[in-house]
Amino acid sequence: MNEERVMKEQDLLELLQDYPVPEAEAGFYDRALVRAVHKGSRRQRNRWILAGFGSAVAAGLAIWVVTAMLMTTPQLPEAEPSIPGVTIAMEQEHTVRLVFASAKALDSATLTVSLPDGIELAGFPGQREITWETSLQEGRNLLPLTLIALTPAGGEVLARLEHKDRNRTFRLRVDVS
Amino acid sequence: MTDPRQTEVFERVVRPHFDRLYRLAWRLTGAKAEAEDLFQELLVKAFGMLDQLVHIEEPGSWLCRVMYNLFVDQHRRFARQRMHLVDEGHLPGQGLADLAGDLDPVEDRERLEKYRRLDAALRQLSEDHRHVVLLHDTEGYKLEEIEELTGTPVGTIKSRLHRARARLRQILEEDGTIS
Repeated sequence: MNEERVMKEQDLLELLQDYPVPEAEAGFYDRALVRAVHKGSRRQRNRWILAGFGSAVAAGLAIWVVTAMLMTTPQLPEAEPSIPGVTIAMEQEHTVRLVFASAKALDSATLTVSLPDGIELAGFPGQREITWETSLQEGRNLLPLTLIALTPAGGEVLARLEHKDRNRTFRLRVDVS
Repeated sequence: MTDPRQTEVFERVVRPHFDRLYRLAWRLTGAKAEAEDLFQELLVKAFGMLDQLVHIEEPGSWLCRVMYNLFVDQHRRFARQRMHLVDEGHLPGQGLADLAGDLDPVEDRERLEKYRRLDAALRQLSEDHRHVVLLHDTEGYKLEEIEELTGTPVGTIKSRLHRARARLRQILEEDGTIS
């Protein structure tokens, strides 16, 4: 190893050694402790499930979730690792679980799912856009969506979450085999 | 109902390790919300194992192992299906803006830019490579400690460390961070 290489190695190690981690927010540890004691004995595995999923969907939620848990992990395409994707078969229901984290509980958020041509959400035939009001728990929230492909075109499913004046859009690429 | 004595014992055992655990959660997940989530999951699990926890000689190391296993079992499994934000996604340097320090603004800006580049370079590594370089070179874990934490043999860890550093050097040389 020549001298220049050694110096670069040293520069890299110094950079890594100084690479910081933001400190926890004030009060976070105390809150986490309280929640752990509160939840610890309950072992509530289903805490990620999106609360208040909407009256139109609520009746089918349990089935969707159970179905989702039984699904195998969809194969992700290699080309665009930054955008998650699934491959689904034509005219067959396929449940995907959309998991996202919320730093705090949110009431009265609006979730809008937009579908490309040729892909439908089970239970909402012919609808390109489905909107409902929902609440998010602090932490991870799970939204199972059962998709059906009617054409082989595929496309992007968008899920837009709005709360007060803030909004975020999530996307999922869907290919049809 | 929870016995207040249990709460007291639990806090006494786990609180001294909070900073270390939070750092580990950050290194594993690379994002604040997910680090907090992982930290919280660990505490919930640990509280459920309090009877076992109080008899452990080195609860800090034990908690780190449980956290790592939680990450592997849950976080990584779901990560492949996690939706990515279009407008506020898992961007390189997420959270680093809070780190502006005592230096003058120009130095601060340069320092943050360097970290952002390092962060972006780290994200180009595989998860295994990223973790080993962060745990060893940044957090100061010994190879044997990483072996104990991850269950990966020391030889494999060394090899990953070597390749991870080489790749990082290459990326950071190309973008001028290391000259």
